[in-house]
Amino acid sequence: MRPQSVQELAEFLAREKGAVVPLGARTQTFFGNPLRRADCAVDLTALSRITEYVPADLTVHVEAGVTLEQLEHTLLENNQFLPLDPWNGPAATIGGIAAANAQGPFRAVGTIRDWIIGMKVVEIDGRISKAGGRVVKNVTGYDLHKLYTGSLGSLAIIVEISLKLRSKFARTATAIARFPDMQTVADGIAAVRKSGLQPVACEWVGPEHELWLRFGEDLRAVDWQLQNLPPVAAWKVTEGADEAAAWERLRSMYSSFGPVVVRAVGLPTTVREIIQEYRPGAWIAHALNGIVLMQITSPDEIGRIRQKYRAVIEKAPVEVRRQFPTFGLNEAEYDVMKKMKDAFDPEGRLNPGRHVDGERK
Amino acid sequence: MGKLRQIFEPSAVVEDETELLVYECDGLPLFKNRPDVVVFPQRTEQVAQVVRLANEYRIPFLPRGAGTGLSGGALAVEGGIVIELQRMNRILSIDVENRVAVVQPGVVNLHISQAAAPHGLYYAPDPSSQMSCSIGGNVAENSGGPHCLKYGMTTNHILAIEAVTATGEIIRLGNPAGEPVGMDLVGVIVGSEGTFAIVTEITIRLLPKPQAVKTLLAAFHSVEECSQTVSDVIAAGIVPSALEFVDAKTIEAVEASVYKAGYPQDAVAALLIEVDGFREGLEETSTAIVEICRRNRAYDVRVAKDDDERAKLWLGRKGAFGAMGRLAPDMITMDAVIPRTRLPEVLVAIDRMSERYGLGVANVFHAGDGNLHPLILFDSRHSDQVDKIFGMSEEIMKLCVGVGGSLSGEHGIGYEKKDFMDLVFTDPDLQTMMRVKQVFNPAGLLNPDKIFPSRRGCTEVGKHTTTSTAEIGKRVESILLGSPEKVQR
Repeated sequence: MRPQSVQELAEFLAREKGAVVPLGARTQTFFGNPLRRADCAVDLTALSRITEYVPADLTVHVEAGVTLEQLEHTLLENNQFLPLDPWNGPAATIGGIAAANAQGPFRAVGTIRDWIIGMKVVEIDGRISKAGGRVVKNVTGYDLHKLYTGSLGSLAIIVEISLKLRSKFARTATAIARFPDMQTVADGIAAVRKSGLQPVACEWVGPEHELWLRFGEDLRAVDWQLQNLPPVAAWKVTEGADEAAAWERLRSMYSSFGPVVVRAVGLPTTVREIIQEYRPGAWIAHALNGIVLMQITSPDEIGRIRQKYRAVIEKAPVEVRRQFPTFGLNEAEYDVMKKMKDAFDPEGRLNPGRHVDGERK
Repeated sequence: MGKLRQIFEPSAVVEDETELLVYECDGLPLFKNRPDVVVFPQRTEQVAQVVRLANEYRIPFLPRGAGTGLSGGALAVEGGIVIELQRMNRILSIDVENRVAVVQPGVVNLHISQAAAPHGLYYAPDPSSQMSCSIGGNVAENSGGPHCLKYGMTTNHILAIEAVTATGEIIRLGNPAGEPVGMDLVGVIVGSEGTFAIVTEITIRLLPKPQAVKTLLAAFHSVEECSQTVSDVIAAGIVPSALEFVDAKTIEAVEASVYKAGYPQDAVAALLIEVDGFREGLEETSTAIVEICRRNRAYDVRVAKDDDERAKLWLGRKGAFGAMGRLAPDMITMDAVIPRTRLPEVLVAIDRMSERYGLGVANVFHAGDGNLHPLILFDSRHSDQVDKIFGMSEEIMKLCVGVGGSLSGEHGIGYEKKDFMDLVFTDPDLQTMMRVKQVFNPAGLLNPDKIFPSRRGCTEVGKHTTTSTAEIGKRVESILLGSPEKVQR
């Protein structure tokens, strides 16, 4: 089923009685608990119109099937952008990025939740409903778009999204340094934290012990930051096409992680401890956010990590995902999310088993 | 002994009718209703206990912070129990390295930044009432403030919460990294106006203080030129930390008050603009803004030379609401949002409306994000004026929604604007919101009669309602005095 309009999808859902699986660009089908059932897939890529873009308001309104690349291209005409670089890349749809709450290194100015200002969804019975609006600041009604963000299409099918935007940075630059060991790189990160620098991305890449700092601001602010890099290593600075290519390399490195990748959630000060304790084969840590993406050596590590930290399975073969829940929710979270699922989709027909309804194995 | 007394010491229960008058309204005195009892918990467990008791006896209850809200969110519409969280006012920890603080809901917004200041950190959202409003209230309302333009609203700074559910369970959601796991439950509770849960502990993000700040004031002879400047600053790719609009009436009130800031008194409109960030480059940004102002025929542009001058410029803006007493005995504060490109036409329309209704309007608002605050001035001793303000505020909301805007940018819907929700939302929209509310608040006892319109029969399924306030009063009496009967479900 490939609806050409929101209305067509709504009419279809009002008739359909089977299990429905919404799909975007299919860049992250490996994420989430395994589907229990699928009678009909809904391909949302034909909903690909940018329906309203008001550069002076710094807002854009898109259908869910618009890709990040397509959006970036349009925004570039006005020197604006959506400051996100999810690992699943430019081919991902905005709807898919929101549904999976997909993220990348570039997160000092927030994740997609911080940029969504409104959403329209089609519910399992074909009803169309919306939350939020098209203005950048709004507290009218409940922020249901926050609930749908990260719900993996298990509550309702996201069909339209309103986003706020920002002007492109006048300049970006990336400084990369390689450190001899765990201790020196941890010291380097501590030095960055105390330095007054405000990188928009700060990645600890292992096992090579590289530190990647990305700066984005006006020209002189980037200059100042590059001149004030902590003198703990030999920094190599890249800009322009080289910089873009470097980050693209990091993205492919992440894509090659596997078969089991876990996102451990700690604090900036526990990043080192997480890496030392679980000894991943390879990792990329958002060091200033306390998040470590790890290629773990055995699926059994998942349980061990979860004894101390929150951990989400980002990627794993289906056998592993059958055995271990994707999110590892605590009782309170599970309880609220399950009730939410039951309230939106009482027959469990929307992406059955993929989110909270597949968490208890 | 009554059941409430088993939970609270005598000084933490207010039932005296005169003392209860303090709690009959919040910062919106247009709507009043006295609760039957107010309790002052000091621990989360006490909140949970009183919530369970309220459920047992089917008594409506609601949380309250500093009572500075402007939409009647803390109004006890049906009476019942007000759970006043002001005594839960400790900053539990400040983790300097991780830039995270854990606070109780009764902590005053500004006190957080004051406590973090020695570490070079601060809490960014700064509602105008930040000297008295509580962080718990900020979380409930998803409060804003001038600096939200660059730094985002409350919701962008709340990482984790401990809350008491509407049925009296204590839950913890979120994590100190602020990384949603699964659905973003913290995000949906922030801004739910105290209708989903009572937040009892809050983990917030602190930001490093910017290296440098530049504040400037530009005066204009026309609203159009002033509005165009707003658009041009944004179009130039500048992200000001604040971009505030002040009109002639506001200047008149401010300059006649203790908040006197030296605003040019012949200006038709003025902008207070602030940029912050790295010291390097800030001067250039500030110069670029001055040029944009001049290009739009600003006739007076002042850049504050030091912190004292900055503070003075802000004093006028932050004291504007308070200064309105100079112009009229009463006022209501509207909070609609519009796309910022529609500013000029909307301001002109409001001006015409003001003439037609014969009610003064002062405009002082967050221009950068299109969040209007028309202050309608009136005298509540004249009942015809009170009728008129309802008509005029409805017209303003319709006007703003008509140009693609929304009812509220930061004050919340509460009791005040609930009947206007259907200007923005369809029945299915509201039904879906109601469904989510019922997951959190199944019996509808927590903060009833808020957000959802009553006039169009958008009924709350499963809501206790139709209970008279006299009956609720009787139930409260039974938990105060200890009479035995429980209410049958």
